[in-house]
Amino acid sequence: MTAHVMKFTLKIWRQSGPNERGRFVTYEAQDVSPGMSFLEMLDGVNQRLLGTGEEPVAFEQDCREGICGSCSLVINGIPHGPDQGITTCQLYMRRFSDGAHITIEPWRAKAFPILKDLVVDRSALDRIMQAGGYVSVNTGGAVDGNVLLIGKDQAETAMDAASCIGCGACVAACKNASAMLFVAAKVSHLSTLPQGRPERARRVTAMLEAMDREGFGSCGNQYECEAVCPKNISTRFIAVLNREYLRAGIVESGRPSEPESPHAESS
Amino acid sequence: MALTGLGLVVYVVFHMLGNLQLFEGPHALNSYAAFLRDMPILLWAARIGLLSMAGLHIGLALQLSIRNYRARPLEYTIHRYRQASIASRTMAISGMALLLFVGFHLLHLTAGVIDPAFADRRDLEGYRDVYGKVVHAFQNPFMVTLYLAGQLGLGLHLSHAIASSVQTMGFEHAALNRLLKSLGPVIGVIVVLGNVAIILAVFLGLVR
Repeated sequence: MTAHVMKFTLKIWRQSGPNERGRFVTYEAQDVSPGMSFLEMLDGVNQRLLGTGEEPVAFEQDCREGICGSCSLVINGIPHGPDQGITTCQLYMRRFSDGAHITIEPWRAKAFPILKDLVVDRSALDRIMQAGGYVSVNTGGAVDGNVLLIGKDQAETAMDAASCIGCGACVAACKNASAMLFVAAKVSHLSTLPQGRPERARRVTAMLEAMDREGFGSCGNQYECEAVCPKNISTRFIAVLNREYLRAGIVESGRPSEPESPHAESS
Repeated sequence: MALTGLGLVVYVVFHMLGNLQLFEGPHALNSYAAFLRDMPILLWAARIGLLSMAGLHIGLALQLSIRNYRARPLEYTIHRYRQASIASRTMAISGMALLLFVGFHLLHLTAGVIDPAFADRRDLEGYRDVYGKVVHAFQNPFMVTLYLAGQLGLGLHLSHAIASSVQTMGFEHAALNRLLKSLGPVIGVIVVLGNVAIILAVFLGLVR
């Protein structure tokens, strides 16, 4: 078999800093093997840029095996590119036709300010997690195995939701830049399991309030988030989230007010 | 949004069912109209309720749209949709078209401002001649076109609206999801078919 080499024309968003004006710059990607991942192709481009003394394109990446949620590129208008159920790092260049023009943009949302080129600050998602995406556990000796039995279907549902890697593609794909699928996955994961039940009412309220504070938009039930999610998280969890929120409204209304968060750092 | 929207959905369903009495003849429709007008307190309570629901619905839509617009200050150069339905992508447009259409419809058939010919006409039994008014309206090709366009907007809006409201209210179950997702298109098609049947039956001379 002869080694097949591909060539692409890339239109990449370049922005030197958070407060700078960005623009598209066109680069040629040469000597690309069809077996290269999208990020390896960009590595090649950056290598050449380094050779010419030009600033390489900044993009986020870490594990390159689809589980860390670092990579965040909108490729030809779709977060994580044309294939479904994978992250950018698992997208291979054989998916594109030779000589294709590829437009690469960062996640665009007010809550995800651009730091540099294709790198955005996704700490808004971390702050949502800090608001309630945890369970409070007393420290001490580890609990014995099989003390807390959890039904298979419950465990599966929780795992389906927990497979969210927090990449933010849902926000990037949403017309309204809403983080509903992310919050839905986290809330559903914990409220499905007995460990998460005691705090469920406070959690859902706190996480949704945090989401609003960060400047994300609202859910219009278009389900674009589900279609780009690298972990195929179902939008049925958004219904679960809405249900949890309604429930919290009823449960909490009769309760004396609690401190905002038991783990809030005193400032 | 979801609650006010569902309230309005219930109204359009009953509006369509009530109007289908056109097919039972002038007596049925005119006495039905008289029956509604016989209870002025209830009628006005319903009208005020509907208006405030519509007002709230529009107000919330504006508020959310502004927030959503702010959530993405810089748009993508290329944005491709993967599975969002046409209806879900045109909710703002179909909503505004519906608002214009409903305004026109109220001025036309309810208030009789646009076409005063039948506004106060009585039938042989002394009822207001709603039947005659409807038949007169839909013999006019311009009105037929306008009302059919209005129905297109209504159908489009409903087909996303209902399933979306159900999701917002948190109804979801593995065994029911198919049914819940199809509620919008099914109810939308039923309402539109009922209304279109009235318009076309008159226009084609089946009801006169």
